Amino acid sequence: MPQQPDFDKIQMQVQRVQGRVYMMTGAGGNSAVQVGGDGVLIVDTEFAPLAPKLMAEIRKLNQGPVLFIVNTHFHADHVGGNAALARLAEPDLKGAPLKIIGHENVLNRLAKSQPALPVEGMPVDEYFTPFKDLRMNGEAVIIYHEPNAHTDGDSVILFRGSDVVATGDIFTPGGYPFLDIDHGGSVQGEIAALDHILDLTVPGHTQEGGTYVIPGHGRVCDEADVVEFRDMVVIVRDRIQDMIKRKMTIEQIKAARPTSDYDTEYVTADSFVKPDQFVEAVYRSLTKR
Amino acid sequence: MKSFAVTLFFAGLSWSQFGPPPPAAPPKSGREAAPVDLTGNWVSIVAEDWRWRMLTPLKGDAASIPYKPDARKVIDGWDPAKDEAAGLQCKAYGAPAVMRIPGRVRIAWQDENTLKLELDQGRQTRTFHFGPKPEKLPAPSWQGYSAARWEPSLPPEGNGLPVGISPRFGAHSRSLEVATTNLREGYLRKNGVPYSDKTALTEYYDLFREPNGDTWFTVTTIVNDPVYLFTPFVTSTDFKKEPDDSKFSPAPCTVR
Amino acid sequence: MARRFALFAGLALLSLPAMPVQAQVDFSGAWAPLFHEDLPERIPGPELGDYMGIPVNDAARLRGDSYDADRISIVTEYQCRPHGGDYSMRGLSNMRIDAVLDPTTQQLVAWHTRMGFQEMERTVWLDGRPHPGPLAPHTWQGFSTATWDGNMLNVYTTHLKESYLRRNGLPRSDKATFTEHWVRHGNYLTVITVITDPVFLTAPLERSQSWVSDPGQRMGRDVCEYNQELPKPRPDYVPNHLPGTNPFLKEVSEWYALPSAVMRGGEETMYPEYRQKIGAPEKPKAACDRYCNCGAQDNPTCLVAPRSR
Repeated sequence: MPQQPDFDKIQMQVQRVQGRVYMMTGAGGNSAVQVGGDGVLIVDTEFAPLAPKLMAEIRKLNQGPVLFIVNTHFHADHVGGNAALARLAEPDLKGAPLKIIGHENVLNRLAKSQPALPVEGMPVDEYFTPFKDLRMNGEAVIIYHEPNAHTDGDSVILFRGSDVVATGDIFTPGGYPFLDIDHGGSVQGEIAALDHILDLTVPGHTQEGGTYVIPGHGRVCDEADVVEFRDMVVIVRDRIQDMIKRKMTIEQIKAARPTSDYDTEYVTADSFVKPDQFVEAVYRSLTKR
Repeated sequence: MKSFAVTLFFAGLSWSQFGPPPPAAPPKSGREAAPVDLTGNWVSIVAEDWRWRMLTPLKGDAASIPYKPDARKVIDGWDPAKDEAAGLQCKAYGAPAVMRIPGRVRIAWQDENTLKLELDQGRQTRTFHFGPKPEKLPAPSWQGYSAARWEPSLPPEGNGLPVGISPRFGAHSRSLEVATTNLREGYLRKNGVPYSDKTALTEYYDLFREPNGDTWFTVTTIVNDPVYLFTPFVTSTDFKKEPDDSKFSPAPCTVR
Repeated sequence: MARRFALFAGLALLSLPAMPVQAQVDFSGAWAPLFHEDLPERIPGPELGDYMGIPVNDAARLRGDSYDADRISIVTEYQCRPHGGDYSMRGLSNMRIDAVLDPTTQQLVAWHTRMGFQEMERTVWLDGRPHPGPLAPHTWQGFSTATWDGNMLNVYTTHLKESYLRRNGLPRSDKATFTEHWVRHGNYLTVITVITDPVFLTAPLERSQSWVSDPGQRMGRDVCEYNQELPKPRPDYVPNHLPGTNPFLKEVSEWYALPSAVMRGGEETMYPEYRQKIGAPEKPKAACDRYCNCGAQDNPTCLVAPRSR
């Protein structure tokens, strides 16, 4: 997980995306916020200390009840604010329930995690089917499970009317994907998930815009940006697969630097996933029995 | 009353827009009139037409040049040994081509109305003359005769009348315009793609600065040759400023 | 009454300041690209492995070496992809430039370009507006603002999508920015483009290209529809060459009798002194036999197949 910053110094950045959907960024993962006559739906809640700032920005857009929190996966920088936001949202609910949704593997992981997430922040409105849908603010919101991608509990959320997809950490432009192998992630699932995101996105004129994509971290994107990222993952996978076929060890593979033409693009001093970590994760995915 | 108002109208205009007519100023020299400073040491940066400029291209390779079918025989007939024997090593270093040869250029004012360009490749010197052309030009040469002027700014038309008629504003040009004639026949490329002695060359030198502090100029070169080209041949060549001439390395012309 | 009015009008006019002369050039109109430089690269297309004269780093070289041109047909999302804003000025496309006027003040607030290829459009803002923030989406053409310096328009563009420096897989990242300098001389427009890419370039890449006014031009539509036309061997297939396996990289040096080392490009290859380092070609040739007459009157667009003279 990324090191926690000084939250007092963090200023939330708000970017209008399209339709009813905004992206809010503080220090954790991006939050997607849908607002309208029904109230508010939030995808991912960042870190607990940022909840007041996140709520303050939401309240600039909408005074209605926060009816849904959807978690794309169980990592702390995406679920950490669940309980705090739920408490902040309570006074405005006026009896309506706030449902926290996540795939059942998110709930299972959080139930075992240490430190434990407060009960009021647990995604107990879990689902185990390939997808779950609901209607909010006049549009269909479809929550797709992406098996064994970044983790084993990933969800991708399509705001069908606004034509926006929130991807969680399956898609992180500007950084290598974190394949959390120890928690069910895999490169095969990651690629399949990215391909599914590409199925959901339809570009506008001249292959840009159209369906916008809110990544787990980074700027607002569209289909073309997801394609570049997907291609990178596939090409790196192909290279490592070929090296495995040639019986190279993990140390030999790392030394061969199969990501060297992507490192200048996807790695900075602050990057969470360094090249060797990415290579190792892909290797473990491909050699897992 | 109406005529009084009209008179006052134009009087007002005249005073507000023009003031009293200024006294006639003496004409400025080329140097005095320079809106930009092209002097200094420059290096050509070759990121385009690389294999035609950094190397002598293969015989017959005239790609990108808009030549007439008749020129093909000349192109295919290039004989570097013959040129060497005839002392024509500098045939590819004439004004229409020399700025494309990778090298360094030193630019300085030779006098108030002559801008001198020294090119290290081929040890060529070009002189750009501001002011009227002499009545009699010397014999045609590789560099010809270059008449220069600071590209005239578009004048405001109608003196920018502000009332009732839309104002029209002039644009200040910062470009050096050079017209070169009196050329010997030569080569547009080192592999013998020809230009004739009827060629007229027009160039525009444009200076610009980059946010990182680099200073450049680009010369847009328009070669008009009614003999070998079916349309003007237009290229743009880029030079970056260097702090000094320590890398200026004069080298003789070569045919290959 | 009339006397008072006349007096008032005269006094008002006397107080008018002289209008400042502004530096503006009219770029509007239809423009045809001139391909008198790098025609074979810009029209038929660059050869695979040709990185000559580009200040690329090793990352860019490996990307280029891995590039398989099948990607732009197999990966449907690439099929209708337009050029990036920086490459647009070099590409095979006519251009129309329109002045954008503020409807209230009738002042020029932007230039708007439209390219025939893939209908790429770009607005170059002159009204001093700021560029979007770091979280804003990137586009193919980027976000451009400009200022005048005499007769030259200096343009700065950010927020570009990942694209290419050459159409042979040599990449240009989404962290790149570029400046342009537009200058018009009569019927000729010269556009100088300087690309700064911290990901793939070790120095700014400066290129310039020329256009000629073409008032008779009528630009039509260029509507692209993407479609899966070729079967994929597997769903997650992205054509690419594994490192060290691209069999096409040596073609260029053989076709044009060039030493293979020069193909790799790099910053030093842009400078005149590099010529001292260029060795002999591994496979010399007596004469040109490929794209030799590209641009000639009998092959002005270079669409006659190679090997013809």
